[in-house]
Amino acid sequence: MKNYDKLLNDLAPRKFGKRGAIWTIFLIVIIVAGLIAYIDQVIKGQVVTNMRDYALWGIYISNFVFFVATSFVGSVTVAILRLTNNTWRTPLVRIAEIISLAAIVMAGLTIMIDMGRPDRLLNLFIHARLQSPITWDVIIVPTYIVFSFLLLYFPLLPDLAILKKHYNKTKPKFSKWYGKLALNWTGSNAQKAIQEKSIKIIAIMIIPIGILLQTIDAWLFSTTYRVGWDSTNMGAYFISGAFVAGVGALVTMVWIIRKVRKLESYITDSHFDRLGKLLVLACLIYLYFNINEYLLPIFTAPVQEDIHLNALVSGEYAPLFWFAQIVGLILPIIILLFKKGRKPLPMFIVGFMVVIGSWWKRYIIVTPTLLHPFLPIEGVPESWHHYFPSLHEWLITAATLAMALLIITIMVRYLPVIPIQRTADEQEFLKTNKNTES
Amino acid sequence: MKGNLKLSSLFIALLGVFLFTTSFQNLYAQNAKKNKVRLKAYYVKIMNEEVYFDINASSRIDNKNVNVANIDLTVYNEYDDEKIELGTIKTDMNGAGRCVVKDFNSIKPDSTNSYNILISFKGNEDFSRASKRLTFRNANIKANLITKDSINYITASLLDVSKDSLIGDASLTVQVQRLFQPLFVGEEFYITDESGTIVVPVEEGIPGVDGNLTIEVVLSDSDDYGTVKAIVIAPIGKPIVDESTFDQRKMWSPRNKTPIFLLIFPNIIIFGMLGLIVYLMFNLFKISKSKTKTNIYLKQKT
Repeated sequence: MKNYDKLLNDLAPRKFGKRGAIWTIFLIVIIVAGLIAYIDQVIKGQVVTNMRDYALWGIYISNFVFFVATSFVGSVTVAILRLTNNTWRTPLVRIAEIISLAAIVMAGLTIMIDMGRPDRLLNLFIHARLQSPITWDVIIVPTYIVFSFLLLYFPLLPDLAILKKHYNKTKPKFSKWYGKLALNWTGSNAQKAIQEKSIKIIAIMIIPIGILLQTIDAWLFSTTYRVGWDSTNMGAYFISGAFVAGVGALVTMVWIIRKVRKLESYITDSHFDRLGKLLVLACLIYLYFNINEYLLPIFTAPVQEDIHLNALVSGEYAPLFWFAQIVGLILPIIILLFKKGRKPLPMFIVGFMVVIGSWWKRYIIVTPTLLHPFLPIEGVPESWHHYFPSLHEWLITAATLAMALLIITIMVRYLPVIPIQRTADEQEFLKTNKNTES
Repeated sequence: MKGNLKLSSLFIALLGVFLFTTSFQNLYAQNAKKNKVRLKAYYVKIMNEEVYFDINASSRIDNKNVNVANIDLTVYNEYDDEKIELGTIKTDMNGAGRCVVKDFNSIKPDSTNSYNILISFKGNEDFSRASKRLTFRNANIKANLITKDSINYITASLLDVSKDSLIGDASLTVQVQRLFQPLFVGEEFYITDESGTIVVPVEEGIPGVDGNLTIEVVLSDSDDYGTVKAIVIAPIGKPIVDESTFDQRKMWSPRNKTPIFLLIFPNIIIFGMLGLIVYLMFNLFKISKSKTKTNIYLKQKT
């Protein structure tokens, strides 16, 4: 009983300290700045961006692709580990589910930011053409949002009921809200049966939905006949890239939450070690696809492809390209291959490198291709042949990233980041096992 | 009192500055050097259709040739010290304009049977006045399609209308009209013989819509006669088979022509997903309505 109380105290949501409050205010300030920039963009039009006839997709779309990729962590880490019954997943799954939901919600918002006329959003549904990958994207993103939410919500029910009881006397207002969200959960066999069945369905379904999401995201590019995008490799390339970005984000968030919430006895070095192995596997697969994606065109490149590759490898985009490849992929692989590299702090650094590398990688995928079309546009100013985001674009993009982090922060504040009921069940199970053995 | 004096002095000073700068600007504007407009003009006659003058306006500004857009040009026919206005045009963004003369007989020749055209620009704030003279004689081309020994030929004769004589030793081009650039038939040009005629064989198998070839015989930019063009519609081409998929259900068709497979399979997936979402929501509802037995930990806590 004492153990259970300790468990509850450790895992129940806790009020932010000074650092938490500063962090939240910092995020809100960035969001407000981005909001002002966005309102200005809506009033003046997308002329405030540096997107022109050449770079008609800029930082917004690369940011969207990054969010979509990061949201894949829900499918991979949660569903696959759940279905394969890997018990070590327990303290990590909820963090992964939270990241997944925050990322996909922000992906949906980011794509709207890229629209010149957001008031015409409904036209995407009313005048949808099923042949268009944009339509598939419009369908799959909300579907993934719903499944990600349900994947987070169903396993939360027992914990919400526990928190209702926990805060009954100390925080009655909180208790009331947790009670409402717990949907009268009592842990009855009937409720458990429905919950387990539902989680199993979601865990199975979110894998193909996640793969569909990444593939459609890739097809947005590869169905457009462009240098660097015209590749049958693109779907698998995006899935493997999403695997890397998602696990990288998970590692980073897990380390921060563990440190802030002092969860060292629940999220152990062993968890980081396993996550490290998962991440290095993801990075190796992605490296393989990168080699496919860049090496083969070097042999078979027509003129335009050659210009594009030169811009990436040794030209205008070389610093970013090599940063994304080395810092975001090769260095993490080297570090993670050693056991010392899979300790918590090195893992955090590696995770952070992977996330930053993944973000710039999306920029590299989107922008240089647009600047090297097969048919050049005649009579445009020289400046249109280059692209670097405007201040409006930077502010709005920073705001979307801050908003994703704010969603995660709020969820970490009000939800148990480690499943209480499941951890208690597992500890009880271990104890029973020990008693039986002795 | 002192304050009022200061205010009025300030007002006078400001008015003075305003008037000085205004008059200075006017002086500057009067002395400003205007740019010169260069006019180029071409006379084009299409047999049995229309006659027009293609005009280009450009200027040398900062050592660069710049097209002069949006200036008004007037086209006159000069005849016996008279100027008969044929029309006015405004140049487009490329500095180009076309003045179409619907009836060639409205243009009158001088005593030497030459037609004198004056293109005049009155000048404006930026450009000084300019004019261009164009002189040409009236020529006709008569072109026909003939078939001899199963070979198709284009015959064309070039005629000086005022002299009523055929023109020899002139170069004519025979070409098939195309969207971007004409397709030469045979050689690049043919020289008319003593009787002012050319005979050009037309090779077989040139594609044309419904098998029709629009063949042009052209006297290009001649010093004496300008450009004269005769058009023959010849039903001797290879018919172009329309391979349009406009009415078919294809991936690039509009939404009302979506391929059937794309209507069936994605919709099965979409409605399957929606069905699952509804089922899962219903499960949440069932959980909220089912509360019989309490979980061990909740019991312990309570």
